[in-house]
Amino acid sequence: MGDVPKVAILFGFGINCDRETAAVFELAGAESERVHVNHFVNGERDLSEFHILAVPGGFSFGDHLGSGRLLGNRMRFAMREQLSSFVAAGKPIIGICNGFQVLVKTGLLPGREVPDFEQRASLTLNNSGRYEDRWVTLEFDPDSPCIWTKGITRIECPVRHGEGRFVMPSTTDLDELNENNQIVTRYVDPTSEPGKGITDETLPFPICPNGSIRNIAGICDPTGLVFGLMPHPEAAYATFLHPHHTRGEVSEEILAEGMQIFRNAVEYAQANL
Amino acid sequence: MRDVRGDSVKRQLTADHGIEIDKVRSIVGFLISSEISAAEVASRADDVFADPIIEESATDSLHLSDKELFPQEPDMVVTIGFKPGVTDNPGKAALDGFRTIFPNAGDDARVSTYLTYAFEGVPDGVEVEWLAKQLHNGLIERALYSLKGEEYPVIEYAPITPSDYAPPAVVDLEVTDEELMKLSVEGLLALNLEEMQTIQAHYMNPEVRSARAALGLPENAPTDVELECLAQTWSEHCKHKIFAAHIHHIDTETGEDTEIDSLFKTHIMKPTLEMKDEVDWLLSVFHDNSGVIAWDDEWSMCMKAETHNSPSALDPYGGAMTGIVGVNRDILGTGLGARPIANTDVFCFGPPDWKGDLPENLFHPSRVLRGVHAGVRVGGNESGIPTVNGAIVFDDRYIGKPLVYCGTIGIMPRKLPDGRESHVKNPDAGDRVYMVGGRVGYDGIHGATFSSLELTEESPSSAVQIGDPITQKKMLDMILEARDAGLITCITDNGAGGLSSSIGEMAEYTNGCRIDLGKVPLKQEGLSSWEILVSESQERMTVAVRESDVPAFEALADLHEVEATWVADFTDTGQFHVVHGEDTVASLPIEFLHDGVPQLRLESEWAPPNNPEFNPPSKANHSSLLMRMLTRPNIASKETWVRQYDHEVIAQTAVKPFVGVERDGPGDAGLLAPIHGSTHGLVVSNGISPRYSDIDAGAMAAAAVDEAVRNAVCTGVDLSKIAGLDNFCWPDPIESKKTPDGKFKLAQLVRANRELERICRAYFVPCISGKDSMKNDYGTGENKISIPPTLLFSLFGNHHDVRYTTTSDLKPGESLYLVGESKQELGASEISYMLSESGESNGIGGEVPRLPNPEKNLESYKALTKAIQSGIVRTAHDCSEGGIAVAIAEMCIGGRCGAAIDVDGPGEADLWGRLWGESLGRILVGVKQEHRAEFLATMKGQPLTYMGEVTEGNTLSVWDGDDLIIESNVDEMVSAWKGSLDMTGGVQ
Repeated sequence: MGDVPKVAILFGFGINCDRETAAVFELAGAESERVHVNHFVNGERDLSEFHILAVPGGFSFGDHLGSGRLLGNRMRFAMREQLSSFVAAGKPIIGICNGFQVLVKTGLLPGREVPDFEQRASLTLNNSGRYEDRWVTLEFDPDSPCIWTKGITRIECPVRHGEGRFVMPSTTDLDELNENNQIVTRYVDPTSEPGKGITDETLPFPICPNGSIRNIAGICDPTGLVFGLMPHPEAAYATFLHPHHTRGEVSEEILAEGMQIFRNAVEYAQANL
Repeated sequence: MRDVRGDSVKRQLTADHGIEIDKVRSIVGFLISSEISAAEVASRADDVFADPIIEESATDSLHLSDKELFPQEPDMVVTIGFKPGVTDNPGKAALDGFRTIFPNAGDDARVSTYLTYAFEGVPDGVEVEWLAKQLHNGLIERALYSLKGEEYPVIEYAPITPSDYAPPAVVDLEVTDEELMKLSVEGLLALNLEEMQTIQAHYMNPEVRSARAALGLPENAPTDVELECLAQTWSEHCKHKIFAAHIHHIDTETGEDTEIDSLFKTHIMKPTLEMKDEVDWLLSVFHDNSGVIAWDDEWSMCMKAETHNSPSALDPYGGAMTGIVGVNRDILGTGLGARPIANTDVFCFGPPDWKGDLPENLFHPSRVLRGVHAGVRVGGNESGIPTVNGAIVFDDRYIGKPLVYCGTIGIMPRKLPDGRESHVKNPDAGDRVYMVGGRVGYDGIHGATFSSLELTEESPSSAVQIGDPITQKKMLDMILEARDAGLITCITDNGAGGLSSSIGEMAEYTNGCRIDLGKVPLKQEGLSSWEILVSESQERMTVAVRESDVPAFEALADLHEVEATWVADFTDTGQFHVVHGEDTVASLPIEFLHDGVPQLRLESEWAPPNNPEFNPPSKANHSSLLMRMLTRPNIASKETWVRQYDHEVIAQTAVKPFVGVERDGPGDAGLLAPIHGSTHGLVVSNGISPRYSDIDAGAMAAAAVDEAVRNAVCTGVDLSKIAGLDNFCWPDPIESKKTPDGKFKLAQLVRANRELERICRAYFVPCISGKDSMKNDYGTGENKISIPPTLLFSLFGNHHDVRYTTTSDLKPGESLYLVGESKQELGASEISYMLSESGESNGIGGEVPRLPNPEKNLESYKALTKAIQSGIVRTAHDCSEGGIAVAIAEMCIGGRCGAAIDVDGPGEADLWGRLWGESLGRILVGVKQEHRAEFLATMKGQPLTYMGEVTEGNTLSVWDGDDLIIESNVDEMVSAWKGSLDMTGGVQ
């Protein structure tokens, strides 16, 4: 491919973080296009035109019947082959917040080497029973195969969800994820030493904002190409979006730590696709 | 698995009523009517209706009867579903999902949702009927329940009663005045006698009669379609008749006796138009759905604020949700379509801990708060529009009528790809008119007038509507694409008055239209012609499209799965012409429809109210007063509520509602950087101070404007480009038997308008859009509750660079300064209300905060914004309710640090005035040591007082000269401030 990877940003049906997600990929050096889900469903467009796929946050179909379920179904039944080919071609996919919920409900996450579109996990109502917008601290598994998070130890960014508690049917399922280093990112105590914050014991509210098992904030598939997370790194793309930006002197640099996730994928596409 | 839904109900019963139930479990139900067999549905239930990882599904059987899931029979079971005709959003989504799996479900397939709660371990004395009442609103929902041993409740579809189209009725207006008024009252037309007589005269005009004969309409009498259409168009809601009225005003204090020809034209429109002549950035004022300013060469911004008070009183959830999604549509309907990028929400409620009596048919304020909050939360969050600023104000009188103000800001490219200016609508005769989005139903008929109805359990569901954010979001996505493709020549939203208003108003551009009601898609069959024309069913835009663009427009609608129906054409006939299939059902001259309403003549008389003087106790422990003040609902943290709004979707919010070390300190104004990658900013702020009306509504209005400006100044706003929105909520100011004090209430309105004009001119804030809601009363006679006259002033303005801004949290090493002067102004202050409620003082009277020299304030605001824009000030907080004492406490909370300040200083105010007084124009500022000299130089000549220092440690000390007046622990202040409005019943 050329130097500028093309990113498909899904939109329509209540996806609503499509504009900022498109913007951060552009700022990371890619070319973004917001493409309505139905363009792929009705065959006017094909995922193969793109190098990266992003399923942004939002409230697809109002999250009625469970977050991400109805959009997940549309993709599972109407875009199955395109998605399979996309994954088989080794192209990265990210799902953020509602997009993560969609990828989990389609079965792409935690997934198998070859997608079988079986749902194995779920994201359900926060223990607090409330939707909340608050900033969290995330740490990343340095040994994860996830291509999106290379070189990142810790970032801060907001969560904005009512259904972010990650669950799987059994402890064995979680152990298996852990052994494969698929538990890419977790909520950690901001006062812990960077690199040493990760723990299996569920941290108290609001450090772990939703009661997620093992503080899981995001996971990847076994290949490390498909990545989903509840928090919003794109909402931390700029220094002036951090709630503490007035606590120091004015920063000349505009781009912030949330950008690294998107840069990683752009660089991966440039090197491998 | 934990049942979070059930747990939430359990916690809420504890928080609101002190009732502890052992366990609450929830079951989500779907009622399906389709051509798919139960067995087939069962085989795919886990694909649509249940999540196989966390839920159990059952088809055609009750979970409650499953001994494995419910080994023990619950004490009580309550099942809640929507009444027929009420918007069921989950049901709609479920049907969509159902069709994905079963494309052959059939055209008539229906899915409705319901929720069942099973209660275990219910304490004695809790009745199941009471429990059901807490969980549903009888106006829109039905509840079935059972006790242990009884059969479980089962919800079923109500049978559909078919009804047929009937031709419109003819209304004989050649009757006595008495009978004219009877027609108006019984028909819910809300027209006065003079207006009815004007309509009567229209149908006696021989020219009108011969024109009607030619169209086949009854010659000398209106059809019900015409009468309803006139009633809607001429309603207070649409024509703002009180603001347009001729007023005879008397001031008994000064002896003034004057005539005012329209408060709006005199005090709002004229000043704004004069300011428009002085600047080049006011693109569109007053005539569109919102006012538009040029933000830079490439982009324009618009803003609108609306109220949705009466609907929110009846169904707090649905009323508030339609409020927020409705004002979003005002933005989408501005120019050729703007994109909403931020919401603001300001609510006025009764006290959430109200223990007194509640009038018949009114909800407890805590329930109004929960419902309104939930509606705005769902409406804003699901639409992907951040709520960046707002306020919640409490006063006993809002029990009678809560105020729900929803505001939205929008952005547009100044020029569309085809070169047209986006803020100018340009339809031509011959353009097709589409209705886009939702369908028309019984919901929302007579929305503008129903507040005068006595509401009961049996009230029709038509009185209340529930918004559908996802239908609206799809429509919004589609319309913005259509705009950029150059397919739109004119657009407006369908709000009050429905199609009659939206098409009727747009028809003024081409001087005529022809609507075919037979083409309008309906939710239910059987609506009569007038009902289709005036229904306020939600999520609809009216869009005009050139004939050549029709295929492209319809293709976009298909792609987005949005219903777009050709329902009318623009003409140049001068007539508002309505047909229903073959029949002409209405024809009204455009001019008569829009300009025919006669001007009201009203009487106004001002006499200052008598309030017992606020006399603070001679001895007081100000430390404990501070702790009490921090728990006052008007001051306490609203974090529980505000945190449930998404305030940073779109990744642009540079100053959020929460600031500081623990991100829980108060943000003064919202600051946005709407263009990704750019630091160019937009400020959004609000000002509201209704209790000052108890002394003088003029002072109330001045305070609202100053507060909005002050909050914006705290972010470092560009004061050369700020614009305002005046949003008046008043009790009925027309003197009548029902309202014997109407003259006084109108005088309050006159004074508020005069001060609004004076301050806006001084600050150079043009009012570019506004709204009024003039009937905020409950009941009659001695039991009548009237709201305090309330002006919400919303402001949006330019900001050069969002990195150069401040927040209210103190930072280590800062010195503290007060910009502005403290005067002896304790009248109607929060401390006066607190101490008079507790009996420690007599009343709230005295000097209310005023702005005698706003030009002077503006000078200091300009100096301060200059300092902020240069990066030398990173901390600022405005002083409002609770004065300096509360402001500095909030700054310590945000910074999680101590401070030592001395309130002794210039001016004549005593200690109470300096500590608790709410004098306007004051901002507390923190400046680091290294920037002090530059700061002092920038502020030279302005009223500035050195107050003290940020301290290490955890104590706020306030001195009055040598006397230590307040010594408070910051952690204790945090608990006091955050505790009183928490209302969650605990998080975990």
